[in-house]
Amino acid sequence: MEEIHRNLTREQAILESEKCLYCYDAPCEKACPANVPVPEFIQSIRSGNLKGAYKLVTKANPFIETCGRVCPEESFCQSVCTRKEIDAPIKIRELHRFVTDNVSDVQIELSVEKSRGYKVAVVGGGPAGLSCARELGLSGVEVTVFEKKALGGVPVQEISKERLSEVISNKEVKLIQRYFVREVKDRKLTIVSDIIGKFDAIFVSVGLPEEQTLEIPNSEIRGVYKAREILKLAKSGMKVSLGKRIGVIGGGNVAIEVASVLKKENPESDVEVIYRRGLKELRAFKDEIDEAVKVGVVFQFLAIPIEIKGNESVEGIVVRRARLRENPLNKRREFEEVPNSDFFIPLDALVIAIGQKASDFFAELEKTEQGYIKCDESMMTSVKGVFAGGDAVRGASTIVESVGDGKKASESILKYLEGGKDV
Amino acid sequence: MYKERDLSMSFLGIHLDSPFILSAAPPTDELEMAENGLEAGWAGVILKTTSVEGNPVNLKNPMMSSFGTMNRRVMGLGNIDLISRYHINDIEQRVKYLKKKFSNKMIAASIMGASKDDWQSLVLRLKKAEVDLIECSFSCPQGSMGEEAGKMLAQSIEATEKVTSWVKEAAEETPILIKITPQVTDIVEVAKAVRKGGADGITASNTIPSLLGIDIMSFEPYPTLFGEGSYSGLSGYAIKPITLRTIAEIARNVDIIISGNGGAWNWRDAVEFMAVGASNVQFCSLPMHYGFRVIRDLKDGLANFLEEKGLKSPAEIVGKALKNIKSQEELANPESRSEIDIDKCIGCGVCYSACHDGGHMAISWDPEKRKPSVDDDKCTGCAMCMQVCPVDAIRMKEKIDSKVHYFFEVR
Repeated sequence: MEEIHRNLTREQAILESEKCLYCYDAPCEKACPANVPVPEFIQSIRSGNLKGAYKLVTKANPFIETCGRVCPEESFCQSVCTRKEIDAPIKIRELHRFVTDNVSDVQIELSVEKSRGYKVAVVGGGPAGLSCARELGLSGVEVTVFEKKALGGVPVQEISKERLSEVISNKEVKLIQRYFVREVKDRKLTIVSDIIGKFDAIFVSVGLPEEQTLEIPNSEIRGVYKAREILKLAKSGMKVSLGKRIGVIGGGNVAIEVASVLKKENPESDVEVIYRRGLKELRAFKDEIDEAVKVGVVFQFLAIPIEIKGNESVEGIVVRRARLRENPLNKRREFEEVPNSDFFIPLDALVIAIGQKASDFFAELEKTEQGYIKCDESMMTSVKGVFAGGDAVRGASTIVESVGDGKKASESILKYLEGGKDV
Repeated sequence: MYKERDLSMSFLGIHLDSPFILSAAPPTDELEMAENGLEAGWAGVILKTTSVEGNPVNLKNPMMSSFGTMNRRVMGLGNIDLISRYHINDIEQRVKYLKKKFSNKMIAASIMGASKDDWQSLVLRLKKAEVDLIECSFSCPQGSMGEEAGKMLAQSIEATEKVTSWVKEAAEETPILIKITPQVTDIVEVAKAVRKGGADGITASNTIPSLLGIDIMSFEPYPTLFGEGSYSGLSGYAIKPITLRTIAEIARNVDIIISGNGGAWNWRDAVEFMAVGASNVQFCSLPMHYGFRVIRDLKDGLANFLEEKGLKSPAEIVGKALKNIKSQEELANPESRSEIDIDKCIGCGVCYSACHDGGHMAISWDPEKRKPSVDDDKCTGCAMCMQVCPVDAIRMKEKIDSKVHYFFEVR
């Protein structure tokens, strides 16, 4: 399937790289959770040293090819690019994609440290877990990954094929598995005490497997779906057809992405995002919103779900008009209900995409108020020798932040192991 | 709608409607191209260098190459060109034709010979065709006639004076320009020889011997002719500072009319050439790259500049900067310090890097605010930081006693 983002041509990439100011103490590099050395890899593009650029970006981020396609440009490196003070930020994401697309076949010899004799368990094989596994593997640590589903996490299972081809995400996962993971155990762990004692340290990166449910009448009837299930189905190659009129409730990345996917699966259908606030308040990346608008997804803003209607299956939803009010404590405007303003939207199917929630797994680990795993500065949990990272710690976030967590945790784990402490 | 400003000036008794001339080069090699150039608005043409029938012209192609970045692909243009493939009999005809068709334009020709007979017969034939001016190429870096292979006539003081006198002897009243090379030990000595030989003016200067590049995969030089290459004459923007110095050095030391040539890329460069002593400016690489149409902005830019400066004629620019050019020993020694406009600064930190590793480690860096600051005790005022600032936020504050002067480059 054709991907959405088009790669830069060689001419475009070099022209873009020539615009880079090569900042000292560069803000882009500091803003990247994976600390990709942006000015250096761009300097290597400029000099025609693509192989050098490839080594830099892949060393910093094991999911660089994934991030080259889906990293939200407005959130990290590009948002702080100094060049924007002159004209526009450098297209950093596109540049590292240019590098990996044009060098990936070259065999580069790896330098892996000899075994240190430590065994570490990584629980959950998504970007955080696998990044941690790669770093530990590189340092001569024997890594066992516990994962019940296919390795790779959200990029492999949920991000739509058009945004991220499975070939790319699988390639990166396979590479890590092949070189840096001793063993993958097809097992779902819900408590760490099962394996404590068998490993010198544990990294928990199980993500947020459960979805928030919508607490309104009839939300369990036929025709109401969970967004991530739809995304997984679509990614697996199944044809997803929910009907002619589809509503998607939510305003985050998952909501926007599932709406785009459904519209593309069946361009004849009407796909409508139903959201309580306005366009400005959407918690989705610019790329995702642009794509949804482009494919023809429409938006019903200022609509609060009240009740799903239908006997055996969904016939529509009653929503109430909201109005927005500035919040002095928060940049984000708050919504409030408008009395006597209910209206009915007829629908054949309704997809709920109002976010994920922390699971109640790993009861032995201390949790935050929101139910996420609590960590200290070094990413260690309340249990000594057990570290955690990714969405399970920070709530729904980005791939690159998970990569950053995995890298950071690997450093802490190594430090911990070298300190000679037991798990 | 807008009134056009008069840019005309007199050059060796010849009327020029602007100071911008097409030099002896490929743009004037075909008759139709010379006509097109004049019609586009150029003040005159110097037809590409010709010689007598007995001198064979063995041109080899590809003759062009260049170097530059993706952003500025042609920073400098290289050629292994020689002279026109048309001999003097064709050029005579063209001069007559163009003189008739463009009576208000300068129609000049360029020549190159070996023997005294060659030079003088070329001059006499052009004179008979009523050419306005004759330029003599003493400096084509590629071909050499009558000299040692690879050596240019203008690299020999004696030969320059001798051949100039042959030419002037035959030319009598017809103005003669000698086109010299900057590739000499002492350009002043060459210019003096040109003057002693009796020439009316000097064209400063020709392309510069260079090697444009090597394909690092095949190790073939640029341009590549079946895997092999040769040295090129370098022209274009890359050589502008060299030409500027050449013109200035001649103007400061020798009383001779100068036609500027080599590296002017727009009207501002042309004004600089004139400010250091050129009476007019010849162009080749610029119209070769973008076409004759570039004359519009050259003239318009110059006209607006004159208006802004309150000058009546382009002739008033000539030599205006010369009094400010001194030898390094003669310069004052002000107390100089870098001055950073923090409001203008965008926080790239490149000045910090440059000063830290290429200056005197006088700039410190605030990683929180992302701003540089100058330590006046350490700063020697070298101005390296100013060169690298992408937004012109740095200038040099110079002080002598209580007098203050600022140095900043305008881009």
